[in-house]
Amino acid sequence: MSKILQIASSRRTWAWPYVLFMLLFVVLPLILVAFYAFTDIDGHFTLRNFAKFFTHSEAIQTFLYSLMIAVFNTVICLLIGYPAAYVMAQEEFKTPKVMAMLFILPMWINFLLRTVATVELFNMFGLPLGEGALLFGLCYDYLPFMIYPIYNTLQKMDNSLVEAAQDLGANRWQSFWKVIVPLSMPGVYSGIVMVFMPTVSTFAIAELLTHNNIKLFGSLIQDYITTTDLLNYGAVLSLVLLIIIGLTSFFGDNNSEGEKGGMI
Amino acid sequence: MRVSRKSKVESRKLKIMLVLILYSLFFTPAFAQSNLTYTLRMAATGEVELLDNFPEVYETEKVNISLYDGGKYEPLRYDEGRDTVDFIFAHPGEEDLTAWGDSIFSYHESDETVWTVWRNKKEPKNRSQRVMVANGRNAFETYLHDTIDAKKSHGWIWWVFAALVLIGAVVYGCFVVYSRRKERELSSVEQETLRRQRMGKRRHYISQAYLWLLLVVLYAPIALIAVFSFTKSKVLGNWTGFSLDLYANLFTGQADAGLNSAIWYTVIIALIAAVCSTILGTLAAIGIYNMRARQRKVVSFLNSVPMINPDIITGISLFLLFVALGMSQGLATVCIAHVVFCTPYVVLSVLPRLSKMNPNTYEAALDLGATPAQALRMVMLPELWPGMLSGFILALTLSVDDFGVTFFTKGSGGLETLSTFIYSDARKGGLTPELRPLFTIILLVMLSVLIYINFKNKQEEK
Repeated sequence: MSKILQIASSRRTWAWPYVLFMLLFVVLPLILVAFYAFTDIDGHFTLRNFAKFFTHSEAIQTFLYSLMIAVFNTVICLLIGYPAAYVMAQEEFKTPKVMAMLFILPMWINFLLRTVATVELFNMFGLPLGEGALLFGLCYDYLPFMIYPIYNTLQKMDNSLVEAAQDLGANRWQSFWKVIVPLSMPGVYSGIVMVFMPTVSTFAIAELLTHNNIKLFGSLIQDYITTTDLLNYGAVLSLVLLIIIGLTSFFGDNNSEGEKGGMI
Repeated sequence: MRVSRKSKVESRKLKIMLVLILYSLFFTPAFAQSNLTYTLRMAATGEVELLDNFPEVYETEKVNISLYDGGKYEPLRYDEGRDTVDFIFAHPGEEDLTAWGDSIFSYHESDETVWTVWRNKKEPKNRSQRVMVANGRNAFETYLHDTIDAKKSHGWIWWVFAALVLIGAVVYGCFVVYSRRKERELSSVEQETLRRQRMGKRRHYISQAYLWLLLVVLYAPIALIAVFSFTKSKVLGNWTGFSLDLYANLFTGQADAGLNSAIWYTVIIALIAAVCSTILGTLAAIGIYNMRARQRKVVSFLNSVPMINPDIITGISLFLLFVALGMSQGLATVCIAHVVFCTPYVVLSVLPRLSKMNPNTYEAALDLGATPAQALRMVMLPELWPGMLSGFILALTLSVDDFGVTFFTKGSGGLETLSTFIYSDARKGGLTPELRPLFTIILLVMLSVLIYINFKNKQEEK
């Protein structure tokens, strides 16, 4: 009895249920993705799925196209979001918190509904749906993810550094590029990661915004994974995506320090 | 010397304005074309027969159609392995196929098919009742039932924009000229200070304008939903007079049955997931906090995996797990999946509270004779409460907003949350009208919470 009490009171063990849960529902499923990728439909080891991917021109093309769209979207979000975050973090505003909240508020409206409304807006304005609409919609959905981390780092930044730079003779432009931008890089990196990763794996938005004319990698994965006899091939595609995600988050981890948890 | 520099600056400004004006006049017509969108109801014969004479027509015009069968929205596979087939939507006897649009969405509703036709060019003069639908290899004949809805896009909005830009430019120009004339009467020192002030002010206004412009764009689709929640029309973007019927339908449960159950499932799943992940996450946070450095690193890494993984990967990997375990997918699997991606956030919001807490109070309670459970309840919980609450709210939000994970783990048993409901709705080409009032209410609630927080902050400052 006393031993049980001792174990219970050693609070280290309180995390075990969670660790067990994570092993079962996070680690094991990820291993399963790899397992399915390397087996055929009967469970025998095979590399044929990979061979199929590298010779399947539609998959390769869609993959490269999705990467391109994701890069474009990230760049656009950065170009639009950085100035916005910078302006918000300036002290001149009396209520920067409210501004930041106003940028996050749309996220409480279901993103699919917003996407449908965007489509309707494009129709109303007589604009064609296609690549432009896709980029607009993606940027619209993920812009807050770029603004928020940058805003956070800029706000925490010690303003006296900028003043020091100006006292030492730097003009506004110089102090911006030499002081503010380097100091905000952690936020920029986590913003890039937070925009790039969901964009590269998105699957519903593209369908709605282009009336199914443009297919992204996410949609392709969804198609194969939900088809019973093509499940193994779908696992290969997921594994490819997983590798991209792993590389991106590795890049993000090396450059930013835990901004991801600060969202919402 | 000074005057000439100034006039140079002024002429540059005028040039910029001129460019803006020309731009707005030149590009507006390119955007300001009106389209007509028809939603047509047709009877589907269901017969798919081979037509030999179609391939040549197929070359001329490609139209994209997705076919879905009733209720389940699974694509009908006309072509192996693809759910989207290039179809032709054509009138028999009408040569000018280009009169018909770019893309067509459709779904089967009982024995009828609803087609939405997007048309860019001129309206067909004689709309035949008989319609041919074909994909080059297969074709079937059907006839036009009626036009459910025809709506016009509002190309004139672009002209309004152009007019606003023009008016703004003219007003600004007048203002600049007027203020400069006044300034010339002042001394050069005063002019210099005025110039400095003006620069600061202008920077402020430009940055403000930028933020508000972004907000306008960000809120435009939401405003569209909110505005059209006050009309009865089935289709978003079609105003049929002011009406509160949609709100009434929503609250009296007369809305679509699928929507009602989706709302309930969303709430139930969010509550279960939030409660479970709060308990699990808080315990885990306490455990992690008391771990040694290396163990802590490993568990923290494990904790970050679901946060890094995008929805689709979490969804697919869990889907594969449930398939491998032979679990039937439904409410339970969705709840497990939601706990998986919610708990890490709870852990992260509880951990900071723990590091603020005095680590010895818990042991002191044990030394004074409390059982671990008592010590947890009476010593730790009051301290951790705020972190748990924010974790709980975060989990609720994440769960309600989730689409990707739910989509892959909900199975085919008819379980739908709001996200997946909207998705299948949108793929059918429509949107259940009662969604508009629902999300308008959510938006208003969130807005009032924001205003309340702002108000409270201001009071505290005082």
